[in-house]
This record gives sequence, structure tokens and C-alpha cells, in this order.
Amino acid sequence: MLCERCKIREANIQYTEVFNGVKTDHHFCAQCARELDFGQYSSIFEGEFPFAEFLSALLGGETPSKRQEKYQQIVCPTCGTTYDEFVKNSCFGCADCYGVFDVLIHDNIKHIQGSDHHKGKIPAGRQADGEDAQQTADPSETGEQSVRSRIQLLERQLKDALRKEEYETAAWCRDQIRALKEGKENDV
Amino acid sequence: MSEWFEEIDAERKNVVCSRVRLTRNWDEYVFPSRLDDGKAAEMIRRLCEGMKDIDGLLGLKYDVVDLSQLGELELRILREHRVLNSSIIKKKAPMAMLLSEDESVSLVLNGADHIRIQVLRAGLHMADAWKMANEADDYVGSRFSYAFDEKYGYLTSFPTNVGTGLRAAAIVHLPSLSLGKKFPLLVSDMARFGVLIRGICGEGRENYGALYEISNQKTMGQSEQEIVDMVSRVAAQLDDQENQVREMAMKTHRLVREDELYKSYGVLKYARRLSMKEAMSYLSQIMAGTADGLIRFSRPVSVPRLILGIQTANLQNLSDKPLDKDELDAARAEYLREELPQLC
Ligand SMILES: [Zn+2]
Ligand SMILES: [Zn+2]
Repeated sequence: MLCERCKIREANIQYTEVFNGVKTDHHFCAQCARELDFGQYSSIFEGEFPFAEFLSALLGGETPSKRQEKYQQIVCPTCGTTYDEFVKNSCFGCADCYGVFDVLIHDNIKHIQGSDHHKGKIPAGRQADGEDAQQTADPSETGEQSVRSRIQLLERQLKDALRKEEYETAAWCRDQIRALKEGKENDV
Repeated sequence: MSEWFEEIDAERKNVVCSRVRLTRNWDEYVFPSRLDDGKAAEMIRRLCEGMKDIDGLLGLKYDVVDLSQLGELELRILREHRVLNSSIIKKKAPMAMLLSEDESVSLVLNGADHIRIQVLRAGLHMADAWKMANEADDYVGSRFSYAFDEKYGYLTSFPTNVGTGLRAAAIVHLPSLSLGKKFPLLVSDMARFGVLIRGICGEGRENYGALYEISNQKTMGQSEQEIVDMVSRVAAQLDDQENQVREMAMKTHRLVREDELYKSYGVLKYARRLSMKEAMSYLSQIMAGTADGLIRFSRPVSVPRLILGIQTANLQNLSDKPLDKDELDAARAEYLREELPQLC
């Protein structure tokens, strides 16, 4: 396939742009891709994050403005990154950002990564809880497991609420989840 | 010096090198974009202190390199050697690196993330590179507590690295395959499997020399082994297909190929000025010709080594004064005249 811009060189870069929920595939040669202004991250074509710059478009473009306004005030308490900054730079400020922005970015991460769950290596010393074991509710489950399944249920409700844009329900779920998680940590 | 480059993979002659990179963060600090210089310097000091006994890891010796003290040229050379990437070079904050003497193993501290472990191997040795990176990761992980989440895995600055934090890449040489009509189809096929391909073009803007880098697009949802196997499989497949095309060309157009090859040698051996584009495309001919046994030299020659040699920063470094474009082309030709052995 020829590059859609110069129509001279072979297109060896393909990317999927999502804007307002519409997916479009583009094919560019390396030169045109570099020349096109994709914003401040055009160095990415020679760098190692080939998809990072499209993430901004993904995050910004796909989010309904109503939702965006609602979330603009969210700030990570640990590092001070705001949701706006995150959307602009596609970059997290600290490990806690993942938790803070989780409900906002979950679907986007799933879109970029094709998955929303880590599979593979776990740091030594960190317990490898069987993911499958968690999902089947065991009547003789321990207290910790019951908390975990409660959190999972709430997370499902939360996602549901967000999909339906029922933000008050979502906020309630979030608080419950946080309380349960904190309670769990305090017990340890 | 990057000696890891010298070795040639006899099995997979069109695969220049394999690289595995792991992105990690220490849970005691915010990510580098939010880390002030004082904290960053402190973190680097603590990381270096904690890894004082690194010598012997993977059987190698390491140097601590203070990247913020290096000049632009030195940084660009490290980039040409594929030790650093361009985003790191532009960064101004405190940065350091533990670098093995042969440059095959590096740990960049406070780049885009706190720790970036990289292993480079000549040829198609992705499984090996992963094994080594994994061992280095165990070493670091036993000293520092990683930012890790049950759901998202290893947490990284960019969500494009989250999960395994693993990027596996191979550089493949596809001089014949990339000319074919079916090549774009192949490229889009690969995208379907989650493998990204892009031309690596040195200083130029077009893809000189038919060198392509393939790498995994996604870092989450697949285990490290699955990612490594996938990229490795694609590299092997490209190598096979390239060989098939070349074998066909040998049957029907042997004289044409030999003619192009020996003309390329002649230009490289005797020219007085060579642009990057010229040099890369003639070296590409030499690389393919050597792999197919069409040309023999008085001593073994490593084309990847020559390619490193003719890059701008390296030539600038060899010269005792800054070079303009014409002077660079002359220096490039001179370098190749000296380094390219006689025929036998
Ligand atoms: Zn183009
Ligand atoms: Zn944060």
C-alpha cells in the first residue's frame, strides 16, 4: 500500500484513530508520519512509545464533553497530576494515578492494550492470588476473600454506572470500594 | 564499545539483533515526570548504592554512567548504539545508567521511568535476551519494591507500557522482501497480530538500507513468554520469506544480483564522498551478498559494525573538529575505505 499522504513511498506505519467513537485506519510512510504534526509527541516515531501520542486523541476524542467536565477537577493526591494533564500528555505522574484515574481510563487502556488485566510475571514476594479462584464464590470463603468479591461486585456496578453516565451511583461505588480497600490494608 | 554486535547469527542471517526491554518503577518515588531534581538525584544515589554489587550479574562488569554529565555527542553515540532512545537524550533531569562493558546490558535510571532494563543480543536470540532481562529484573526487584498492581501489573509512566512493561524488538534486514508488492500486505497482517514494523533510518528520513524494526504493540494481557515468542516468530518468518525471495532472484537473475553487489563494493571501497543514503543502500547489498555467500572477503566483516561506524555521531566523534555535511560525506567514505576488507 502506498502512503496516503505522499502517495510515493510505501506505507509502513499504520495507526487507528478514534474520534467521537469512529475508528479510522491510516497508512503513512515513516517520513510523512514524522512530518505530520501529531502534537508535541512527534518524536515518538523514532522513540519507543509508538502509540502514546494517539492515546491523547483517544482519551480526549472519545470522552463525552459532559463526562470530561465532570472529571476535570480530579487530581491525584500523591503527585498532583490532573485529569486534564493526563489527557494532554498521556503520561501518569505516579503509581497512584492508576487508582485515581482508573474509572476514567479503564476502557481506554483496554482499547489500547486489548486487555485490562496483567498476565505474566509478578514481583517476588508479592502473592500470586489465583485470579480464577477469586471469581468463583466459595461458601467457605475467608473474610478477606469475601471483601475481595464484594470489591469486585462494586467494581462491576461502578463500570455499569459509568457506562450509563450515572455519576452519583459511580461516586458511591468508588467510595465504597476505597473504604473496603483501606479497611483491608488497615487489617494487615 | 558495543561488541555484542560482532556476532552473526548463522541460522537467521537477516536478523541483525534482538532486544528486550523492561520498564520498572520504584514504589517509593513518584514517576520521573513529577520527580523534582533533588528527589531524582536522591533516588539515583539510592539505586546505585543498592546495586553496588552488580558486577557479575549475567557474568558482566558494569560502569556507572552519569548521563546528565555527558555531552550531546556522547549521548547521540549511545543512541546510535541503541543503548538510549531519543526521548531520554532530550531530557534534562538527573539521569544515570549502569552499563555493561560490552553495552549489551543497560539499566537506565530516571529516564521516562525509574528503571529501564535493556538487553541486546546479536541475531535472533529473543528467548535468551528475555532470560537475561528477567534475571536482571529479579536482581533489581529483590533490592527495590516495584510499583505493581494486581490488575494493571507493572505500573509505568505511559499506559502503553503497563502490564508486563516488556518491549521485545528485532531488527531485520529485508532488502528484497520490502521491494515486493506484497510487502504492505505483510505489514498490515503483522499489525493484526499486534506486531509493529517500522523502518529504521539512521539520520535520514527515508528508510535507507532496508532495515526494519519489529516489536510488540501491546504490553498487557499476554505473558512475557508469549510476547517474546510472538515477536521471535514474526522475525523468523520475515527471515524465511526474505530468503525465499532472494533464492528465487538468484535462480533467475544471478548475474544482475552479482553485478549490483560488486558495483556496491566498488563504490564503498573507492568513493570519496558517500551520503548516508548511498552508504546504507550499498551496505545493504553487501549484507545480503555476504549472507548468500556471493562475495568473500580477506577477513570476516560485520556489516552491522560498519553501519554503526558510518552514523553521524560516530564520525563526528572520530574527527577532531565539527563536520559539516560535505565533510561528513567525505569522512563516511574514508571510514568505509579503511574498514571494508579486500576481496579474496
Ligand atoms: Zn508519505
Ligand atoms: Zn499520581
